Amino acid sequence: MPKFTNCLSVAAVVLAALTGTATAQQDFPNKPIQLMVAFPAGGSTDIAARIVASIAEKALGQPIVVVNRGGAGGQIGWTELVRQKPDGYYIGFINLPATNTVILDPERKAIFTEKDFTPIINQVLDPGVIWVRADSPYKTVQDLIDAGKKSPGTIRAATTGILSDDHLAILMTEEAAPGAKYRLVHLEGGAAQFKEIMAGNIDVAFDNVGSIVKRVQSGEVRALAVMDDVRSKFLPDVPTMKELGYPTVMSNSTRGIAGPKGMPAALVTKLRDVLKKAIEDPEHVKKLEEQGIAIKVMVGEEYEKYFADTHAKAKKYTEWAKNRPPM
Amino acid sequence: MDTLQHLMAGLTAALSLQNLAFAFIGCVLGTLIGVLPGLGPAAGTAILIPLTFKLDPTGALIMLSAIYYGAMYGGTVTSVLINVPGEAASVVTCIDGYQMAKQGRGGTALGIAAIGSFVGGIFATIALVVVAPPLAQVALKFGPPEFFALMLVGLCLITGLGGRSLLAGLAMAVLGLLIAMIGIDPVRGAPRFTLGIPSLYDGLGFIPVVMGLFGVAEILLAIQQPHHKVIKTDLASLLPSREEWRRSIGAIGRGTGIGFFLGLIPGVGAIIPTFVAYVFEKRISRTPERFGQGAIEGVAAPESANNAYANAAMIPLLTLGIPSSPTIAVLMGAFIINGLTPGPFLFQERPDLVWAVIASFFLGNILLLILNLPFVGLWARILHLPFPYVCTGTLLFCVIGAYSLQQNVFDIGVMIGCGIIGYGMRKIDMPIAPLVLGLILGPFLEKSLRTSLEMSAGDFSIFFTRPLCLVLLVLAAGVLAASALRLPPRELREASTD
Repeated sequence: MPKFTNCLSVAAVVLAALTGTATAQQDFPNKPIQLMVAFPAGGSTDIAARIVASIAEKALGQPIVVVNRGGAGGQIGWTELVRQKPDGYYIGFINLPATNTVILDPERKAIFTEKDFTPIINQVLDPGVIWVRADSPYKTVQDLIDAGKKSPGTIRAATTGILSDDHLAILMTEEAAPGAKYRLVHLEGGAAQFKEIMAGNIDVAFDNVGSIVKRVQSGEVRALAVMDDVRSKFLPDVPTMKELGYPTVMSNSTRGIAGPKGMPAALVTKLRDVLKKAIEDPEHVKKLEEQGIAIKVMVGEEYEKYFADTHAKAKKYTEWAKNRPPM
Repeated sequence: MDTLQHLMAGLTAALSLQNLAFAFIGCVLGTLIGVLPGLGPAAGTAILIPLTFKLDPTGALIMLSAIYYGAMYGGTVTSVLINVPGEAASVVTCIDGYQMAKQGRGGTALGIAAIGSFVGGIFATIALVVVAPPLAQVALKFGPPEFFALMLVGLCLITGLGGRSLLAGLAMAVLGLLIAMIGIDPVRGAPRFTLGIPSLYDGLGFIPVVMGLFGVAEILLAIQQPHHKVIKTDLASLLPSREEWRRSIGAIGRGTGIGFFLGLIPGVGAIIPTFVAYVFEKRISRTPERFGQGAIEGVAAPESANNAYANAAMIPLLTLGIPSSPTIAVLMGAFIINGLTPGPFLFQERPDLVWAVIASFFLGNILLLILNLPFVGLWARILHLPFPYVCTGTLLFCVIGAYSLQQNVFDIGVMIGCGIIGYGMRKIDMPIAPLVLGLILGPFLEKSLRTSLEMSAGDFSIFFTRPLCLVLLVLAAGVLAASALRLPPRELREASTD
């Protein structure tokens, strides 16, 4: 038995040496690619990632294996991503602005910065939405803001976690209408928000369109505003914050694919082209739109700029969040 | 009506070839764990969780639940044939079951145990179907303060009922809560007690910890047990005689009732219902002197109670998210790694999954009846396996399982470390149950406490101004006070280690 395993390991070393020397960029990819998702299997990032992977691997000629490295709000997975070799065989999803706030929050002691990623392509942009229970006294955003001014710090507003995009969105709303303050309650996500809103433990929730669109359509809840400059095609009757006169309240969460820093341009181009085709594939588009999730492809300079802008904005509100007294 | 529709949909899902196969595999593995002395249901379920990683959540949970209640069936075999309980809940069965085997009625003892288990399991599952949906509806109205108080009650019950002293129980519960705090702070996002080790950012994995505390520790303990001789007995005549039926029917009914009601109370554990059922049966019997001499009621009642308990204990888990025993806590861990949090919301969010799992309990109990009646001789033969091989095989399986969790060698270390600690704790008689409950409930307890305080802007009066919350907190304090005054009977306290 030991002899046999020895033979095996020798063979493995020889094989590794051979393939190692043969690895050149032109024959990329010559082995399976790992696509990291920094959230557990079954979540919305994971589901969409698997659809993209199943389409893109056909064009790529090599399997794309989705690996879930969930935990710590994505920090575990992103830590692993930046530690990989930039050879294109390990790429992963980044979720802006969550990736940014993990970097920016000094308490988290993240070992990576925004410069440790090579952005490849953005897949999804899900705008923020403000919503209440269907029988809530707040019929409009103005009702909410007026109430927030009248008795500051008493309206219980739910985020989907500390320093989530929804947390930042509440701060933007406070900034846009000075004097209106909300009592922040950090919940675990959309499902928890819905439960507490329905039970009357929370007055207003900040989340993304994709999480709530079905419940708005069924009439269980009311969306007050979408935090984007154009209306969501899934909620065409809901005004945007821009329309309502609050153009600075602009919040969303995005998902895109990135590699570790220092990836050669040729690899980035190759991956980007294949992934772009997969993201624009009708099957992928249909499955995401059924859930109310909007696709937004961004590549190259556009995506890099978006990353940088998101980072700057997240920086401002993260600092604010850290200094804001809880109420 | 709605319930019936859901149940039918669940039954359809559970009857799919794939899910039926998972239920069957679960039943076989569960029976095997029950049969093997030394490995209890908590250990067995924990060890086998890695087997289900690649399955879809419904299949995984059907299989793990089947392992859990399957182990409750299998435990009887060893009780009857070698006078050693296969798992702790079969301790009482030894008394009369072994006597019956010595008289050549071993087959009948195993037969009535399987039938009683079946009746208990089916009845409790029917009750689960009736009780769970309205209970989940009520629990949906609970806010974070109520859940905080509810979890506190569960933790206090387990702490107060388990082990030799309240102090030991509290110490273990707090230890569990402290271990649960390792990792990223769920609200602020700051790492706590991680010593800068990235593997600890997500906390100590619940699964490797329980695989160690139960699986490895129980194997270490089992190695030290003397090996027992398998008694030769008649396994051909499984069905009881008319006279034995007459004696058993009432016992099965009463055992089922006792098991069911005790299953609803967190902290009671699997052993107490069997003791209560046995003692009750002896007390109301016109011929109590037959007990201990091979009375069939002495097998029928506790075995029915045991399985009614096992299925009833799913009610607080599925409706409230409160595990009532360490084994159920392990099962809750399995839900969580599949991305599902047991509790009222699960009924609303994933009715398909919940009802498929519930429906599979019916099928599982039927499968187990088949596995345990005609094939009982096969299980008896497993007892002849050389024990050293069983131990080494199980340990190897544990190591592979812990690693496969997230391909991290760190988890193997955690498991082995916890195995040694678990072994030591049993040697010095510290109760493991409060630790495991603290560990699994810790994150939820902390989250609900902090969310409550966010809701009230830091004002603790939120816990005292909401009537239901106040009632629950008073109840929790009452449980601890009763335990401090040593009100629960001594037998009960000593028996409740699951």
